[in-house]
Amino acid sequence: MALLEVRDLVVGYGPHPVLHGVSLDIEAGETCVLFGLNGAGKTTTVSAIAGLLAPSSGTITFDGQPIAGRPAAALVASGISLSPEGRRVFARLTVEQNLQLGGWVRRKDAAVARTQRQLVFDYFPRLAERGDQVAGTLSGGEQQMLAIGRALMSQPRLLLVDEASLGLSPTVARTVFEVMDRINDDGTTVLIVEQNAGVLPYADRVLIMEKGTLVFTGVGDEIRDADLRSTYLGA
Amino acid sequence: MVLGVSFVDQLSTALVIGVITGGVYALVALGLVLVYKASGVFNFAQAEFGTVAVYAAYAALEFAGLPYGIALLVGVSAGVAMGLATERLIIRPLFDAPRVTLLVATAGVALLVIGVQFWRANDPALRVLAPISNELERVRVFGISVSDQRIVILLVLAATAAGLALFFRSPGGLAVLAASQEPTAAELVGVSVRRVSSLTWGVAALLGSLAGLLSAPISNFSPGFLTAGASGALIPGFTGAVIGGMTSMPGAVVGGLLVGIVESLGGLNALEGIPGARSLLVFASLLVVLLVRPQGLLGRAAA
Repeated sequence: MALLEVRDLVVGYGPHPVLHGVSLDIEAGETCVLFGLNGAGKTTTVSAIAGLLAPSSGTITFDGQPIAGRPAAALVASGISLSPEGRRVFARLTVEQNLQLGGWVRRKDAAVARTQRQLVFDYFPRLAERGDQVAGTLSGGEQQMLAIGRALMSQPRLLLVDEASLGLSPTVARTVFEVMDRINDDGTTVLIVEQNAGVLPYADRVLIMEKGTLVFTGVGDEIRDADLRSTYLGA
Repeated sequence: MVLGVSFVDQLSTALVIGVITGGVYALVALGLVLVYKASGVFNFAQAEFGTVAVYAAYAALEFAGLPYGIALLVGVSAGVAMGLATERLIIRPLFDAPRVTLLVATAGVALLVIGVQFWRANDPALRVLAPISNELERVRVFGISVSDQRIVILLVLAATAAGLALFFRSPGGLAVLAASQEPTAAELVGVSVRRVSSLTWGVAALLGSLAGLLSAPISNFSPGFLTAGASGALIPGFTGAVIGGMTSMPGAVVGGLLVGIVESLGGLNALEGIPGARSLLVFASLLVVLLVRPQGLLGRAAA
């Protein structure tokens, strides 16, 4: 049984569905990349998984439990954490306070907070230097690191990162991907939403979306062999 | 010389009276700042939480014959219930609406509630709520007697201001700020934005209720008394909140007290010939503060 199983997911804003029956599996321990152009439905998919959007039909199963329609605030306690599109750091709070809030659902356990905070600073030493700085004054790359760090503070089993590299320089994007790889090596299952092919070398599984449906699923050599860029990404 | 002494006397009297009136303004300002910090809404219904609390307490005391303490509790409960209902029925459905829509909606709530008071409770128009204590002369400041009721207002103000300042330094306060800055991200870390919203409106209504219940016994009360009219505290409270920076709890207290003092300076004999000197002075000082320090006395410059 996969850690996350999505079946026939239909999600829409108002009466018009954006996702037309998406089914996918994510196995525990893998790094999965969800690819697609703007408007393909990637963000809608992860928003539904994280509980920000309620699906109109279909099921989502996490670790054997049905979770479709449960609110985000409940899901983060069960181990699903999303670093959202646009980063959405708490701009007028400090880096430390952002991280403290990231651990909100584990706030009664000081040991977890300490461990996770240390882990985040280990992945992103830059954040440790900026602890007292107000998040809104960080660079785009630092804000992305903070958003991922904040999502890690709840000690998730499944980490979703939406638009990990959007607006970042190629160097900073690579740093972020490398850290995502380390996070995965340390045992967290990772789903990255991307349009940047630079993430491909880190992927165990690649899913490609077009117009609200999944058009390609590949693991291992299938990713290397298929000419993903020219076929699906128009690049 | 006699004139000079009397001017100093007048000044000290104005100061004492100003601090006392300002205490009620500051309580209202604290509620306004709390809601503004948490949801970005200028809440025109803030003072009505207080009026409703006063009518409920009055009814419990005079019609149901309940003891004074219980009647106050009934009043606070009614005020808080109105705050929670306003949040649930008006604010939450309009959560994604422009803030100006919410401002108008809260003004609508205030007008509706005042309308109901005129309809159901305008005969007699003027009513009197008994004070907590009838002692008028226990404390003297600068030779002026300060009634126990007024002392209680200042003590409650100090306690609530300290409580709120502490709360915003706690994890719970951080969650409130997070929910106001990035509601989606707050949900994603596990903070329930709905619960935060209920909590802040409930506490704001509690502050409004206290302002009403403690200030009503100082004179008499009538429909909408805390929103407008001679004992209206909404506009002075707003002025105080803005002077204090709109997002600062200590600022709300300082601003509210300042408005009270400036207003009572307008009653000095020297200004006798100027009609409306009180309001004139209050708004002139608001303008000066905004020109010199647009972010308010204790507010932070916009990031």
